[in-house]
Amino acid sequence: MAARIIARCVRSLNHRTVYFNRINTAATLTAAPLTHGRTLSQLTNGHKSPLAQISGSSFQVFQWRQYGDLPPLTLDTIHDRVLYVLKLYDKINPEKLQAASHFTKDLGLDSLDQVEIIMAMEDEFGFEIPDADAEKLMTPQEIVQYIADKKDVYE
Amino acid sequence: MAVSRLPAAALSLKQFLQRQKVLGVYRDLLRTIRKIPAESDRRYLRDWAREEFKRNKSETDQDVIRMMITQAHNHLEDLRKSLALAGC
Repeated sequence: MAARIIARCVRSLNHRTVYFNRINTAATLTAAPLTHGRTLSQLTNGHKSPLAQISGSSFQVFQWRQYGDLPPLTLDTIHDRVLYVLKLYDKINPEKLQAASHFTKDLGLDSLDQVEIIMAMEDEFGFEIPDADAEKLMTPQEIVQYIADKKDVYE
Repeated sequence: MAVSRLPAAALSLKQFLQRQKVLGVYRDLLRTIRKIPAESDRRYLRDWAREEFKRNKSETDQDVIRMMITQAHNHLEDLRKSLALAGC
């Protein structure tokens, strides 16, 4: 019966997860009852990470553990997100924006704008940047570097 | 508030410290505004804060700036108290 519920949930997700589910129902019917609850919550959360584990091999019983967490950060994604947030800021001309463009010297912003930009970065990445560090970040590249340092992203 | 001084012009220590105070109170204000539950209120207050600070940007008299910093702190405290009363 749980498999029927899972199937119903999956139909509302994209078709890739349906493939996953066909394997999944075969696997979970033989697996422990605990994984039923886990997969149901996974599917209702729309978590895509279970898919990564099926790639290729089929009809294998997977013991997966899911933790609620954000996708891992890479230098590229940080860079893209920083530039995206900056492009959304109304005082910046998106054409002139480069990774090395200085906020005050190249983009003509003032320190109040720089405070707002750092606030926007805090919102985007979800962690607080202390004042002493915030006032030193003057180019997008420095922001990317700082976030990578704080979030232990190495490449 | 003398926050837009060009880096080329040398700031005296007092002016530099005052500039840091202004930026600090602006940051605290933005952080407190972030906690407001209603999006429209948040936007309104953010625009208000921006307007207030930008309007007085070119002020150079230290005493006037000090007065304005105190005013900003008072506004900040009012906001914090209202948020606390509203239960955040």
